[in-house]
This record gives sequence, C-alpha cells and structure tokens, in this order.
Amino acid sequence: MTSMIEIHNLKKSFGNLDVLRKVNFSVAPGEVVAVIGPSGSGKSTMLRSLIHLEEVTGGSIRIQGEALVEDGKYATPAKIKSITSRMGMVFQHFNLFPHLTVQDNLELAPKTVKKENAAEIRRRSEELLAKVGLADKANAYPANLSGGQKQRVAIARALMMKPEILLFDEPTSALDPELTGEVLRVIKQLAEENMTMIIVTHEMNFARDVADRVIFMDNGEIAEEGTPEQIFGNPQLERTKSFLSRVEIMG
Amino acid sequence: MSLDYISSIMQPLLQGAETTIITFLIVILLSLPLGFLITLMAKSRVKPLAWIAHTYIYVMRGTPLMLQLLFFCFGLPLLPVIGQYLVIDRFVAACIGFVLNYAAYFAEIFRGGLLSIDKGQYEASQVLGLSRWQTMSKVIIPQMIRVALPAVANESITLVKDTALLYAVAVPELLHYAQTAVNRDFTIAPFVVAGVIYLLMTLVLTLFFKALEKRFKFE
Repeated sequence: MTSMIEIHNLKKSFGNLDVLRKVNFSVAPGEVVAVIGPSGSGKSTMLRSLIHLEEVTGGSIRIQGEALVEDGKYATPAKIKSITSRMGMVFQHFNLFPHLTVQDNLELAPKTVKKENAAEIRRRSEELLAKVGLADKANAYPANLSGGQKQRVAIARALMMKPEILLFDEPTSALDPELTGEVLRVIKQLAEENMTMIIVTHEMNFARDVADRVIFMDNGEIAEEGTPEQIFGNPQLERTKSFLSRVEIMG
Repeated sequence: MSLDYISSIMQPLLQGAETTIITFLIVILLSLPLGFLITLMAKSRVKPLAWIAHTYIYVMRGTPLMLQLLFFCFGLPLLPVIGQYLVIDRFVAACIGFVLNYAAYFAEIFRGGLLSIDKGQYEASQVLGLSRWQTMSKVIIPQMIRVALPAVANESITLVKDTALLYAVAVPELLHYAQTAVNRDFTIAPFVVAGVIYLLMTLVLTLFFKALEKRFKFE
C-alpha cells in the first residue's frame, strides 16, 4: 500500500537559520502520528509545509504518491491545489470565520469550492455538527462559543471537505485546561474511524493514548521516533528524556 | 422669527438642501468603490501600482479640500494646451473633486480594516480550497466592512457638511440660499433653519449607520 504522506530530506531555512534540516518520515493510511518537541523545534513548520502554508527550500513531499514538491521544486499551482485539497487542517487558534454562523462556517467551502448540491451539503453539515456534539449551535456565531466549541466547529468544518488526511497544529494549546477534553474526544473518535492524522501537540497523555507513532522533533530534525510505549516508556536519547521530564510526563 | 417668515424661506432652502443631498449621494456612491480600488492598488505586489496609490493618498490628504475644489472648477481650464478642453460644468467639476478627495480617505479606512484581519483567516480559506478572489469576497471583505463601518460613518457625516464648500465655487446649495436670505432680510433665522436641516440630514445618516452596524455585529 502506498504511503499517505512521504517526506524526504525536507529542508527549510530563513537566511542562516535552518528551521527544518533533513526531515524524513512517512505516514501509512489510517495511521495517527503525534509530533512532539520543544517550541521552535520546527514541528509546526513541518506540518504547515505539508499543506503548502509554508514553502520549503529543499527536499520532497509526496501525498498519496503525488509530488507536492520534488527536490525543492514545486508542482504547478493547479497540481498543488489538487494535492492539498485532500488534506484538512485544524489550527491552534481555530480560525473560524467570525462573520458567519456555525452552519455557514461549515458550508462556505463546499458551496463555493465544490459546488455540491445544497441539500447534500446541509445534510452533511447537520450530521457533522451532531458528530462533534454541537447540533444545537448551528445558528450561533463563533463569538458566542467557548474555545472548546470553536475547535470542534473547526474540526467539523475541515471534515466537510471530506479530507483523506487531517493535520492538527496544536489543537488544544489555546484552550483552558478544562476544555481540552471535549476536543481530544472528537480527535480520538476520528482515530477510531481510521482517519489518517498528524497531530502536533503538547498533550503527552493524549499522544500516548491515541497515537500509533510518536515523533520527537528537536532543532529542526526528527531526533527520535517510535511507538508511544518506546518514546514515553523508554526514550533512548538524553534530549528526549530531558524534554519529557520538562513537560512532566515521566513521573 | 415668525412662522410665516420661515415658511417663506423654506422653499429656496429645501431646493438648496436637494443639491446638498444629490451631491452627497453622488460622492458617496462613487468614492467608496474608488477608495476600495485604491486600497487594493496600495496593497498590490506590482510596485508601481502601489507607489501610485500611496502618492495619490498623500496628495489628496495632504492638501486642502477647498484648494482641490478650486483647482478642478477654476484651475483646470487654465492649463496650457489641454485647458480649453477642460471647461466643464462647475457642479460636475466639484463632484469630481469631492470624489477624488474622499476616495483617498476611504482608501485609508479600508486599508486599516484589512490590516485588522488576522492572517489565520487567509490560511483557513486557503486550506479549505478557496481561491484568492473567493477569499476576498466571502471572507475578508465582509469582515473589513465591519471594522471600517464606524470610520466610514464618520467620514460620511463630514461629507454632508463639506458639501457646504460648494458655496466657494458658486454652486448654489443649502448654505448659499441661507446666506442669500440673511443678506436680503437682515435676520439670522435662515442660518438657524439651515443648521437644523443639516442636523436632520446627519441624524438620518447616524441612524442609518447604527442600523448597519447592528447588522454587521455577527453575534
């Protein structure tokens, strides 16, 4: 089976600063990968480059076998659009459209981009809002939602485009601690439904619980990767151990 | 200040108010879209376009509106060679002056509105597959309008009062008829009546923009 995502020798630098240096990994269909690491380690940049929110300076990204960028050379804009359309993204700060109701947030892109049948779009938005537990908020504006509710709307909005891969960029970092659970439950449910996901996170317990594989990034490269048991139970590198002890998971 | 006297001057004053209102509507309807166009130019990646827009805004905001009106009404025909083709109706010339001046202010208001929009809005639009144009029309502009609305309301009220500058280029409007009545009848009443008419116009505008702001509240 071909990999959903294949990254080869990914590089990105701003002037003299190397944000990513030779990042290699691949993600199998249905796999859930948690990316952890200190801030500034390049994990967000790596994630954002997968969906072309960042341009890399070298290396290759292949999505389902198709090259988004090959040896630092990007595909044509139309090709980029078709490749990135297979992925959805959930942001740290939700990035909901504040001028639209929850329902319109979900339906805007399917209506304008996919030009699907309105009844089918409505059916799907109702189904997804129910799935994230917000069926009663369809007509609310984002300003009237809690952070956890906003993030669940953002996940439903991403799912409206029927992505084959979902990318999460610190989905709970902007939330009050008591609101992270409701968001993590939705992500966990998606994992159980075999959605392919890459989750950049600071929630170590969640990573241990839901990920098939954990990648520890440090200083622009993948320092260590393995199953949650290996990374959290028996980390090999000193910097992995010191990071994990800093985020208080070891004890 | 008898009622009989006031009703006798109402007819010319209302005629003047009509010119004021027509000028206001023409200027607002043309300067808002022109202002937005200039904002887009100022933000353009094509450097000469951005440079032209910035220079334009600088000149229009940096010189008196009165100077601009006199320039378009009486200055243009004095230009060598092409001047003889630029003798246009004073009312039209004044409207051009107003539109060009207010467009510069609106451009700056819209630019501020665009600056206030978080880059996450562009990123969310991009990952959902919206084109640049769809992002602008469906996501950015509606939010920009909300931010710009109070400042646009403020400028609009200023415009109602600025139409009185037509007096200086001899286009008869509300203030002109009031002044004529004052000179003829040696009474202050026409000024008071004119003031009340201006207040009524700005009251209508204020209520209109209040209602608009409510519609763009998104809560």
